[in-house]
Amino acid sequence: MKINQKINKSTQFKVLSEDQIEQIFYSALRVLEQTGGQIFHDEALELFRNSDAVVNGNSVRIPTFMVEEALNFYPRKISLRGRNKKNELHLQKDTVAFGTGSDLPFTYDRKTGERRRTLYNDVKNAAKIVDALSNYDFFMSHGIVGDAPNPQTYDRHQFMAMLENCTKPMVVTSVDGEGLEDLWKMGSLVQGGEEEFRLNPLFVAYIEPISPLKNDRTAIEKLLFAAEKKIPAMYTPCPSSGATAPATMAGMLVQSLAETLLATVLCHLKNPGMPLIMGGVTTLLDMKKSTYSYGAPELSLASAANTDISKWLNLIMFSTGGCSDSKILDEQAAAEQMTNLFYSYLSGANLIHDVGYIDHGTNASLESLVLNQEMMGMVKQFGKGINTDDDHLALDLIEKQGPGGEYVTTDHTFKHWKEWYLPDLQDRSDYETWLKNGSKTMGDRVKERTQDLLDNYQPEQIEDKLKQELMKIVDDADKRHS
Amino acid sequence: MSIDLEKISEAITKGQIEQLQEMTTQALDTDTDPGVILNKGLLPGMDKVGQLWREGEMFMPEVLRSAKAMSKAMEILRPRLSEGDLGSAGKMVIGTVAGDLHDIGKDLAGMMFEGAGYEVINIGIDQPNEAFVEAAMKHKPDVLGMSALLTTTMPRMGEVINSLKESGVRDQMAVIIGGAPVTQEFADEIGADLYAPNAGSAVDLTKKYFAQQ
Repeated sequence: MKINQKINKSTQFKVLSEDQIEQIFYSALRVLEQTGGQIFHDEALELFRNSDAVVNGNSVRIPTFMVEEALNFYPRKISLRGRNKKNELHLQKDTVAFGTGSDLPFTYDRKTGERRRTLYNDVKNAAKIVDALSNYDFFMSHGIVGDAPNPQTYDRHQFMAMLENCTKPMVVTSVDGEGLEDLWKMGSLVQGGEEEFRLNPLFVAYIEPISPLKNDRTAIEKLLFAAEKKIPAMYTPCPSSGATAPATMAGMLVQSLAETLLATVLCHLKNPGMPLIMGGVTTLLDMKKSTYSYGAPELSLASAANTDISKWLNLIMFSTGGCSDSKILDEQAAAEQMTNLFYSYLSGANLIHDVGYIDHGTNASLESLVLNQEMMGMVKQFGKGINTDDDHLALDLIEKQGPGGEYVTTDHTFKHWKEWYLPDLQDRSDYETWLKNGSKTMGDRVKERTQDLLDNYQPEQIEDKLKQELMKIVDDADKRHS
Repeated sequence: MSIDLEKISEAITKGQIEQLQEMTTQALDTDTDPGVILNKGLLPGMDKVGQLWREGEMFMPEVLRSAKAMSKAMEILRPRLSEGDLGSAGKMVIGTVAGDLHDIGKDLAGMMFEGAGYEVINIGIDQPNEAFVEAAMKHKPDVLGMSALLTTTMPRMGEVINSLKESGVRDQMAVIIGGAPVTQEFADEIGADLYAPNAGSAVDLTKKYFAQQ
């Protein structure tokens, strides 16, 4: 018998201690009492006025007990279900799901090699690729549909392109409250009604405040609609350290937590218990190039710390990884994407988005999505940790094979090598074999696989009747806005 | 009762060592021609393994399990086979040259040859040049395999080839070399017939070489 044993079932990673988390939490509470936030939405201001919050014009300051009360009401688990019922996600502490980001205005054109506006067809193709690749658990549109009949209804068209080509759960953006309502109606049709959608939502609504501490009308409109209908939503601060948040990671975390907590109170006042998700794209402003960085190591560090905080608060976390500032899919892109994939995964964030982003979140690349499939596989393997039971310690085997023996033909190897990560596009062949097979780079192989998926992968179709019902919502929106 | 040769092939690809031994014995007991068992049952099974391996559908531990099944079946079959039955499946002497204690690559290659029906005489690691020549003269192999993992021991392979020439047996066998620092260029330089960049490709290269002779 052994005592005092602790076995790590997986790799362990944490940035903040509990005391540090408390420091940040108390500081965020102080920000809400002292500085508060600005809100540009009448109903929200009314909700705050009718509460114990202190409202002056657009400024809202919130006493701590309101935050503490609100935090008690948020679910610790949210189940999402894709159009194909097999694609379920159970968002709960330390379960990780990877997915794309959304709304990139430009697309890397695979034929011309140029950067151009993103079109409906690009979102369709991204949806197909995400549906086909196993390490993607959820889908955001990757690109933003730039050729919709009216920019005011792009979100319905975009959602249609996503739905038709991807059967996984989604995170969606919308123009405004009305847009979100249409998407929710469409989602409910797919799930078999509003009640079914409530139990197994098809998507999470992506909403963001404006750092520092500002909340615009459309963001609040969407947030309140989500609260009313109990649609899962994330309110995701996107502060850039040094510009829209303090230049210190701790200061940025305090401010972004205050932004999140304000939303928890508001949603609680509107409708207690809505599935609100904590979020954050916490990074910095590059001081040489004045860009919002997606490849900075500080993004990984602050995001992982933010996830530590989310777990302590019992909130589901929407984090960031697999993204880069590099203009094309090159060595820089791979290095940056791998770094932030790694730490976001190890942190245990529940939904990790922006996988595949290049050009600091402006350019969509299908090939980048394919490259990240491989990298996510490697990262997940690392997270598995080391099994140290008797079979895995293999004492008997080491004795049996002895010095100078071999393991490759043993039953033990036959059984256990399958626990390893099996590379797909990575090349581990010897030099001569590589030469003989055309001296292909990873970039070459990624290009070939991307083309192969586009040519040959067929996502499960939506049945005609449902498709017509969905299209009616899209058409009606177009008519209203024509 | 007749034996289904396709089942024998299948047992090979599935790496079912014991079942294959039973089936081979049973086939011999029912007077199936040993040459037919080899050429219509075992070898097509290993060809399939080779094909799946090249396509990336089978992996090293699986291939070696099939190879082991093959070599166990060959132990039963070999005494009953006539010279003509053996066809391409010949004899091999393999070893690691003097000063080099590395053996996994050489052993893997040997196992792959056994899987192809070869009788493999593995003379081991750290073998002086004379040991290769002696083994070559004694066993009269179709293939002599040498490996070196160190740049310092690589030159021994050229020396062995020279000794084979001096003994007048060089032309009676194909010499195949391998090991991490070895290249095609080096193989050409020292006058080896074949260079295998990895253990998995050695058998295929050898088969092709003999087909062209």
